[in-house]
Amino acid sequence: MMKGDSPKKIFMMGIWKDNPVLVQIIGICSALAVTNLMLNSLIMGVGLMFVTAFSSFTVSLIRTFTPKHIRMMVQVLIIAAYVIIVDIFLQAYMPEMSKALGPYVGLIITNCIIMGRAEAYAQKNPPIASFLDGLASGLGYTIVLLIIAFIRELMGFGSIFGIPVLGEWWTPWTIMIMPPAAFFILAVVIWVTKNIQDKEKDEKKGEVVSS
Amino acid sequence: MKKSFSFPIIFMVILTAFFTFILAFLNYSTADKISFNKELELNKKLLYIFDITPSSGEPDEISQAFMDNIGSIPFDDEPLYVHHGENEEVLGYAVPINGSGLWGSIEGFVGISSDYSTILGLDFTSHSETPGLGGRISEEWFREQFRGIDITAAKNGEYIIYKPASGGNVDAIAGATLTSKSVSNFVNDDIYNFIRLRKGE
Repeated sequence: MMKGDSPKKIFMMGIWKDNPVLVQIIGICSALAVTNLMLNSLIMGVGLMFVTAFSSFTVSLIRTFTPKHIRMMVQVLIIAAYVIIVDIFLQAYMPEMSKALGPYVGLIITNCIIMGRAEAYAQKNPPIASFLDGLASGLGYTIVLLIIAFIRELMGFGSIFGIPVLGEWWTPWTIMIMPPAAFFILAVVIWVTKNIQDKEKDEKKGEVVSS
Repeated sequence: MKKSFSFPIIFMVILTAFFTFILAFLNYSTADKISFNKELELNKKLLYIFDITPSSGEPDEISQAFMDNIGSIPFDDEPLYVHHGENEEVLGYAVPINGSGLWGSIEGFVGISSDYSTILGLDFTSHSETPGLGGRISEEWFREQFRGIDITAAKNGEYIIYKPASGGNVDAIAGATLTSKSVSNFVNDDIYNFIRLRKGE
């Protein structure tokens, strides 16, 4: 795993080299589910960034006191608490969004990215670096969601963030807002990323790429 | 690491108590706001059923439109929302509907005119159908179909009939046959029972 703690490296890993969705292939469920609209994806991503960053921070803060054999229970408790905070916040201040996201907010807790970061990073690193790591992973996730949602919303509704951009002439592709589209667009995005990353590796031949 | 037996238990208890306290506090401090939002949501849906458009989407306007147009009367031991005109005469009833969908119960209201001749509108307050399939019952195109359906000619409580069956008045949702079927069943049953009870008074 990562050794260096410089913010630049943390973000480079979270967003690109070790992107949770594209490289680690985790957090796929929600990536498929909420990406038919950009706004849903953005809120979901922001919610996840918040939860991942703060739960990583908290896990890291108490990592020296936490008995090793109950650490997963502790992590789940912390993650659940932050997810409920997000849920309460949305219900109170963004009721429309809360309704649109519905069950997905509760499902943030089952997102592998959060626990993955808590286990893989926050358990071994200082709080600030862990916070940034959570933020970076969440950001990586959000960016991928937005890319997929951009393609789906543009072709499915002819709009971006609900604002119509393609004129009347555009015939919406209904399949884009249906579940199957999420599968093949995600696959295409992963395919493109893999190609670029492989090329990068070839150029750095000889260097050991940490992953 | 500490190997004691009691430490992990005490640790977990303290941590749980700490987070529970934070959540309880947050829940307490936002409870009013959340219940206000829920009430507003319900107001909006009831206004929609009776096809009343508030002058704007502002919470104050919605509450005002609600208070001006909608009241409740006791019926069958429960309050029943009604749409009343300027002289407090009843123009329509909001009949509560509920039944089981594909994944869970579906709840909502259907508006019936005071002479039981027309379905004024329909909206759902809660459901857990698959988004994009059965979940489309809450989309506008589906709900709009229930505007002003004449039910005087309906036989055997078959008020909602999906096209293209004879006498059909509403389109079902493609790919969500079970949800559509269930919606028409409980809407028909609930309207039928409501009219029978009202007329039996």
